[in-house]
Amino acid sequence: MSDLEHDLENELRRVLDPLAAAPIPPRRAPGRRVSARAVLGGAGAALSIKLLTGVAVAAAAVTLAGAATTGSINPADWGKQVSEQVEACKAALAAGQHGIGDCVSDFANQHGQAVASDARHHGNGGGGSSNAHGNNPNANDHAKDKTKGGHNTQTKGSATSQDPTDPSTHPAVTPPTKP
Amino acid sequence: MASIEETPLEARPAPESYEPGSEADFERLYRNSYRRILGTLITLVRDRATAEDCAQETYERAYRHWKDWRPNASAEAWLHRIAINVAISDRRYQRLRQAGEVVRRLGRPAPGPDPSVVAERSDVLKAMKKLPPKQAAALVLRHYHGYSNREIASALGVPEQTVASRLAAARKQLQAVLGQRS
Repeated sequence: MSDLEHDLENELRRVLDPLAAAPIPPRRAPGRRVSARAVLGGAGAALSIKLLTGVAVAAAAVTLAGAATTGSINPADWGKQVSEQVEACKAALAAGQHGIGDCVSDFANQHGQAVASDARHHGNGGGGSSNAHGNNPNANDHAKDKTKGGHNTQTKGSATSQDPTDPSTHPAVTPPTKP
Repeated sequence: MASIEETPLEARPAPESYEPGSEADFERLYRNSYRRILGTLITLVRDRATAEDCAQETYERAYRHWKDWRPNASAEAWLHRIAINVAISDRRYQRLRQAGEVVRRLGRPAPGPDPSVVAERSDVLKAMKKLPPKQAAALVLRHYHGYSNREIASALGVPEQTVASRLAAARKQLQAVLGQRS
């Protein structure tokens, strides 16, 4: 037997032999508890580690994409800019004048176009990232939708305001004459 | 405990017989084998408290499959196989817990060592805990419990040749770790 094996046996005896004198505890009743080890120890541990890593990587990717788009890692920056613009629009109103919607909408459009052109410049992936960032495209699209909605409403309104039987809008149709 | 050289296999007492599914026999198996299973687990997991917890979990798992156990293999070898799997699960769980602890403790000073853990540890035991659990288990089954390679192979459910190579690898790694310290 080698020195290592001899030392190993001596050491194991020194540490483990005192166990022989220790009392044997009563056996734990089966199913008394659900061990966290049972959940996290086996395949669960590997799965949990992979899941945590995935979440961390996704969060980092979203933060980086947002930072690349807005120039800041703070998602509140765009909101702050809008608030400032609202204040500026209010200040710019003449006394007794109402409505800052157009003023704010212009600003939103400018920002939206800038982001969209940036996304086109970087390819389709950039668009997804900026959406995930939750920064401006929604607001921008919303503003566009409003504009579209306004147009639609007006179009519908103008269409409905015209009487379909009004001869001024519908020229009289003359029946073809028989030969 | 006796080493393999002192007690040849044929001189050791014949293993007790148990009836699968018998409540009384399982209790007898528990009384007869608890200390040896605990001894194996102490060399595989970080401290005695964890080893005791793992030993109880071993018997819980064994109890659930007690009706399916076949007496053609040693009951204690079967328990050792379960215990080693429990120890492997525990090591994974501890790694996950340690990662959580590191995140929680970032920026704070590390806590001092647990005295109850330090008291139990020897250099050899510390080195064994760094080995892969199946290698460490092969060492303790061979050099403390006095199992033959064939019995270890039966306990771990692997060919004898695998046991021989695991033992050789474990000794080599143990020697390297202990050599670095001396």
